[in-house]
Amino acid sequence: MEYDENGVSIVPSEFKKEIFEEAKKDFRYEEYVRGCLNCGVCSGGCPPHRFFDFSPRIVLQKMKSKDPELIWAMMDEYVWACFQCFTCAMICPFLNSPGGIIAILREIAVRRGLESAKKVLKPYSRVLLKLTAYGNQLSSDMIQPDFFPDWGPHIGYASADLAIKRKAIPMPTLQVTNLAWDVAPEAMKELYDIFDEAGVFKIIESVDPSLYEIIEDIVDDVRNS
Amino acid sequence: MAIEINNRMGLAGVKSDYVHVAGRKLEDIHERLLELEAKGEVKVIHVKEENKPIEAETLLGWKKKIPTNKLWHHKSCGQCGNIPGYPVSILWFMNKLGLEYVDERNQTSCTAWNYHGSGTSNPVGLAAVAVRNWHRAYELGLFPLFHCATTFGDYKEMRNMLIEHKELRDEVKRIMHKIGRELVIPEYIVHYSEWLHVLRFEIAKLKKYDLSNVIVTIHPACHAYKMIPEDCIYDKEIYGGKRTAVSTGVALALGAQVADYSTWYDCCGFGFRHILTEREASRSFVMDRKIRPMVREAHSDLCITQDTGCTTTLDKNQWIGKAMGYTEQIPVMSDVMFAALVCGADVYKIVQLQWHTTDWRPLCEKIGIDWKKSEDEYKAYLEELRAGGKTVNLYEYPKE
Repeated sequence: MEYDENGVSIVPSEFKKEIFEEAKKDFRYEEYVRGCLNCGVCSGGCPPHRFFDFSPRIVLQKMKSKDPELIWAMMDEYVWACFQCFTCAMICPFLNSPGGIIAILREIAVRRGLESAKKVLKPYSRVLLKLTAYGNQLSSDMIQPDFFPDWGPHIGYASADLAIKRKAIPMPTLQVTNLAWDVAPEAMKELYDIFDEAGVFKIIESVDPSLYEIIEDIVDDVRNS
Repeated sequence: MAIEINNRMGLAGVKSDYVHVAGRKLEDIHERLLELEAKGEVKVIHVKEENKPIEAETLLGWKKKIPTNKLWHHKSCGQCGNIPGYPVSILWFMNKLGLEYVDERNQTSCTAWNYHGSGTSNPVGLAAVAVRNWHRAYELGLFPLFHCATTFGDYKEMRNMLIEHKELRDEVKRIMHKIGRELVIPEYIVHYSEWLHVLRFEIAKLKKYDLSNVIVTIHPACHAYKMIPEDCIYDKEIYGGKRTAVSTGVALALGAQVADYSTWYDCCGFGFRHILTEREASRSFVMDRKIRPMVREAHSDLCITQDTGCTTTLDKNQWIGKAMGYTEQIPVMSDVMFAALVCGADVYKIVQLQWHTTDWRPLCEKIGIDWKKSEDEYKAYLEELRAGGKTVNLYEYPKE
């Protein structure tokens, strides 16, 4: 990797072109990028547009420019501002889907293991671990006061004496603390096969190699159980 | 800051014959699915008579059959992990109505929360997970009912992609073959809120409390009505067919006053990644764009939701608002939890409001529910369980 005088990495223009070509050949691209009158309805309704330097109108315009430099400029934290609510897609008079474009660009960012993606997703690793290793995403024992101090003092209720409170839930599938529901090992094994075949494990390895090592150990244990 | 106006009542009950198509001229994906089935390209999980379907209309006036019986519960990670009263309330109603269902361990997450937050999947992965879970319902002879709106949105999208793209179908078929399953697609992708909506008049018969002085505001879930918007229930007698009818329909049927507020269309601020790693954005959104308008404009007693992330985000982020001078607070719960509460379900054992952060006790008192008695009984129940007692379940696994 080359760096400029300020220590910022210089990304070759060929690489930027590759990123655009990768987005363009995605089978969803033609459905998501249609005509655009620059009306701005999408940005007017966009929730993160109110709080971040983010605009679905800009996303669409940059894609339509077909300029790899402009598209590359969105591949840093910009694409990660989107809430993925799809308000833009619903209200666009031309049925464009800026939220869908964001999904394509994020997929490329993680598949390519871009540094910006690694940085943004670092605090997200607990969720990635839970989902890919155990087959569901959020468990009751993840709700801890030290992780959610801004949720108020009552959040302590959700972590104290958890096992007995979960046992009291009148659905047998929910009477566990380390998973949202008690996922059967055969379901987990099928999920691992899907992740293998669809390249999901490879994506995680490229974006967080150390996390992937932990996941790999758990997956091996479950597969051999 | 949102404009302060007087309580806006009555919009929810507006009737209209106008079909809001918003310039859309879309193919009915249901017909294309049946064409693929006729060609032997896919198997379809049909809505049968035994599913006791009730017909509803979608955004473009298409008919959607909502199965009400013989259902396979496709649970939600966030509900089961964090809002257990959500799925419990659904099962409680199914028992009350004498409906058949299966809730089992052989189900994975839809993985879509993770996808929308991190991008660490792709259409093949998402579609294969969807078909895997659909096939599990299929082999049990049941129709899948999706609890989470993100699952609902994702599965509607995957259904459409599978129908429209042969390459994706072929790839998913290959993966299904590897895990010993087949490519099956449900005739309709059905969210629990649609099930609740079509049964709302039956449910209203179970009502135990008068709600005529209770004002509710509805937060419709983005992934329910903004993802594949044409496949979502609209009713000409609810908001004149201009907004999705689910949740509002149930609240009206139960006799609550449904009030309008200017930011009804806004998301909750969940953001998938933001709720975990950029929470200042989520909580600002909650207070500025949802809770404050609900309280100031509509004088709402309660925010009713229809999804997992919305319920968590809107409930959990009110406490911290006080530090910035946001004094507005209202309890948050899903449509089915509210309905269960009003139909006499136990506050602690069934609706499980004890997990919620924003105070819901004043609402119970306004309705006339003795939450203290329920709390005392729950504490005694926990003691029994500690001493080795058995849980009184709503459901037991089918015998092998």
